Amino acid sequence: MSDWSKVTRPIPVPDEYTKPFWDAAKRHSLEMQRCQTCGHFQHPPYATCTQCIGVDLKFEPVRGQGKIYAYTVMYHTGDKRFASAVPYASIIVELDDAPGAFMAGNLLGSEYTEAKVGRRVEVIFEKLNDDIVLPQFKLAGE
Amino acid sequence: MWDNRCKIAVSGVGFSKVTRSADIPLAAHALEAVRGAVADSGLEMDDIDGLATYPELPATGHAEVDGISVVSVNCMMAMLKLPSLTWHIQVGSSNIGGAFQQAANALLAGVCKYAVVWRAMHNPRGTYQNLPGNMAAGSGQFTGPYGFGGPGQGHAVAYARWLETNGQTRDKMATLVLNQRKNTQHNPHAYFHGTELTREDYFASRMVAYPFCLFDCDIPVQGAVALVLTLADRARDLKPTPAYLAGYGQRLHFETAGRIGSLSNYMEGGSSSAKLTWERSGFTPGDVDVAQIYDGFSASVIYGLESYGFCKEGEALDFIQDGRIALDGELPLNTFGGSLGTGRIHGLWHIIEGALQASGRAGSRQVKDANVSFVGASAPIVTGTTFIFVRDPY
Repeated sequence: MSDWSKVTRPIPVPDEYTKPFWDAAKRHSLEMQRCQTCGHFQHPPYATCTQCIGVDLKFEPVRGQGKIYAYTVMYHTGDKRFASAVPYASIIVELDDAPGAFMAGNLLGSEYTEAKVGRRVEVIFEKLNDDIVLPQFKLAGE
Repeated sequence: MWDNRCKIAVSGVGFSKVTRSADIPLAAHALEAVRGAVADSGLEMDDIDGLATYPELPATGHAEVDGISVVSVNCMMAMLKLPSLTWHIQVGSSNIGGAFQQAANALLAGVCKYAVVWRAMHNPRGTYQNLPGNMAAGSGQFTGPYGFGGPGQGHAVAYARWLETNGQTRDKMATLVLNQRKNTQHNPHAYFHGTELTREDYFASRMVAYPFCLFDCDIPVQGAVALVLTLADRARDLKPTPAYLAGYGQRLHFETAGRIGSLSNYMEGGSSSAKLTWERSGFTPGDVDVAQIYDGFSASVIYGLESYGFCKEGEALDFIQDGRIALDGELPLNTFGGSLGTGRIHGLWHIIEGALQASGRAGSRQVKDANVSFVGASAPIVTGTTFIFVRDPY
């Protein structure tokens, strides 16, 4: 299993568009930007609705279950902050509640070889510091 | 069809020395390539009145210093002090293919007569993707914390999805990579000229970001290439046989900033550009005699072949087998070795090779009886452009 213990993850810097996402994550909740005009969920947050160009966007809770849309297993150690964890799986997740909105994550709690397209995953939360909690993923039902 | 088909032609082409590291300033590479292209045309530098480039540095976390890590239009103007200069541009919404297209438009508009287009690429010392700091801001806040660093991983996730949804394995990619390295041996300007690659080498090479091994990624180099673009009537009076521009297109589909690219994003980007090119030129994929498709990462060729319409979605790795893409095959592909052979110079070298094949000037790698020469000058995921050059104007 990938050893994440010595990894120094870059700390996300919330901004005016993204702060509600990180505030929710701190409460161990997943919230995504939703268009109040057409109901479309999107991620990452954006100035307008990417479906109907609506500007009335609010963050709403989504369930943390979804599927691996795509993944890569990283072997290259060019980025020293992550070098101690290689090989590790970086995954792209499409949540059941937000089709078409992609979230990045790592596959935690399993061998990196378990990352496969279509496999069910669920969100878990990894505390980075007192301010930032990072949504992550593990295989569903484990 | 496009009213202006075959009214523009590529004339001379030029190449700098391609080196692994930055031994001399990038400006010297750019000058060598530009001078080479002008001389190849049989022109004098004083004849050049148009300049176009895309001066981006793909390596992250390194300073952009004009003349050192990029060569902008301003830099070239300051060096050459062209007495006849009447027009210049550097582009943003599409990359080097867009610079070429703007030069073609300027020639058609009559605001310059002989335009030079160049692309100069810097390989900084140290780590190529020199990801800065311990904070992740902007769109990086949703990717950086998970170890998504350079563009390689972004391309790798799409490739993994393509493989698994189509029930394919990466083994078949060896055919593409080995064919291109073989073609590289006919291109004396390429970084890997003189360096063979075997099937065993490919499968023994280290993984970089699965499904990409080392040889699926173009090697960062320092170098430049350039070409002279002019009206067809003028090109006929110059030294080289002209390669006529039959049509071009640019990517019309974009996803919003910061979104992780989906596979459909690659496909829609590529097909939107190719559709314009087929319609403007009047050709179809079946008419193409030789193709250059951008290959910064090997999988880009998959998305190109499929989204441009050379084969069906999900079939590209089967399509390239059985000698089809060899120099004497049904669709000779990346005949100059591609970026995997030349090193990372981006799409202008693909455009140059497309022109050389159409004008019968590709030397020992010349495809016999080539007339319709297709170019996909960058990965469909990014600011893709496509072109068709022909030997016989129509």
